[in-house]
Amino acid sequence: MKIYVKALGMHLKSELEYRVNFILSFLSQILVFFTYYFVILSLFTKFSHIKGFSLWEVLLCFSIIQFGFSFNEVFARGVDKFDELIIRGDFDLLLIRPRNILLQVLCSDSDFVKVSRIIQAIIVLILSIIHLDIQWNILKVFTLFLMLVSSCVIFFGIFLMAASYCFYTIQGLEVRNVFTDGGKQMAQYPIGVFQKGFVLFFTFIIPYAFVNYYPLLYLLGKKEQYYYGLSPLLVFLYLIPCIMMFYQGMKRYTSVGS
Amino acid sequence: MKAYFTYFKLKFISGLQYRSAAWAGIATQFFFGFVYVMIYIAFYDSGGENLPMNIHQVITYLWLNQSLLALVNQFSKDQELFKMVKDGTISYELARPKNLYFMWYFKVLGQRLSNVVLRFFPLILVTSLLPKPYTFGGPSSLFNFLLFLISLTIGTLLVTALTVLYPIITLTTMSEKGIVNIMISIADILSGLVVPIPFFPLFLQKISKFLPFQYISDLPFRIYVGNVDILFGIHGIFIQTIWFIIIVFFGFSLMKKNLKRVVVQGG
Repeated sequence: MKIYVKALGMHLKSELEYRVNFILSFLSQILVFFTYYFVILSLFTKFSHIKGFSLWEVLLCFSIIQFGFSFNEVFARGVDKFDELIIRGDFDLLLIRPRNILLQVLCSDSDFVKVSRIIQAIIVLILSIIHLDIQWNILKVFTLFLMLVSSCVIFFGIFLMAASYCFYTIQGLEVRNVFTDGGKQMAQYPIGVFQKGFVLFFTFIIPYAFVNYYPLLYLLGKKEQYYYGLSPLLVFLYLIPCIMMFYQGMKRYTSVGS
Repeated sequence: MKAYFTYFKLKFISGLQYRSAAWAGIATQFFFGFVYVMIYIAFYDSGGENLPMNIHQVITYLWLNQSLLALVNQFSKDQELFKMVKDGTISYELARPKNLYFMWYFKVLGQRLSNVVLRFFPLILVTSLLPKPYTFGGPSSLFNFLLFLISLTIGTLLVTALTVLYPIITLTTMSEKGIVNIMISIADILSGLVVPIPFFPLFLQKISKFLPFQYISDLPFRIYVGNVDILFGIHGIFIQTIWFIIIVFFGFSLMKKNLKRVVVQGG
């Protein structure tokens, strides 16, 4: 943990060396990020709800997913950009060090410009909570907390899965975007608005629904049963096969570097 | 002229080599398109008033958008040109006895066309076979289709001129991060890439009337689905052409001006 924090600090320092560049990129990220919200905002000027979900309810869902995604872009950048590590042959370097491999991958890169997205997600989250009339109790606070954490966990799992794929293909497959960017795009909406098959796939194969749909129903009072509120816990189980896949893939690793 | 055409051909043919990248792109765009289609269907099922397009028009619009994305978007910048500006390779380009603006223009055009040729047909084929309501529909009439082809052609020329403009601006700013990226994301929104223009809030619709971006893809797509009447379409094509001439002229003179005090970076 100490090493990880130190590595983060180093990445931050090196990014701040180019101060103007950093600030400008930071601002442009906010704008790029805004384009995602733009879809929702403009569609809700024409429609009053989507399958019973109001603007702020969808935005709540949006911000939770965005939070998890950007969180990983900042703090698990090394996993996200794992293919570069393999292609450059730098992965060999990690293997000879007497530390946990995954920890080293996490330390290898980070992108602090994306902090702007985290901040933006938090702002939208707070705004939507203010606008929504939620009957708060202890369990609901806990549910919201679980949703945020599980959102980080699920994207970490998916990034990790995509990374383990790199061991076999050497190059980063663009198809992974379907599951990362595409999954994010889709999970920004309450998954219930989609067709049945989709909902099943994203409940059981990639459990997005446990991050932002079932707990959302509980949070908004659309479902009363407490296990809806606790369902994000299942996402943690999802991490197990992802980590296993990564180590399984590592056994197959052959270096490409020189 | 022949030399410029060679640049075009070169980029076009070498672009066609990247077939596996194209397959990945097709898969991604199909997924994204499908998600968007389902979102719009869910919205339409929930009911709304004074909707600017019917659901079939929207879905066909969305599929057109996805299958022609490589042609009409601005966010996938031509990295090669930016690299030239940033690492000083531009000095080699300047040594060539041809106009740099048109060299770049035809390179970008070739690149864009080859990208779209690989992606367009599979996507259109698959999406037209989808069951209703997801299916990609045909043009509203033969005449609309002809108008669509004309305005898409001019739209392509226009978006190419805009894509060349960004590295030219980078000649002054030295890095495309920041200002140029901000410009590009605004441009992409205003060209209707994320949401069709008729769904914009009213004030934004008014603003985009005075900007070139909605003439890139929004106009041709709306002509195709029959969301605008013929007269409006012809009028639009006229404005499109004027914008194209303005942007090319602007890019050409900006480049001339910037090249007078160009800094070659790198060593």
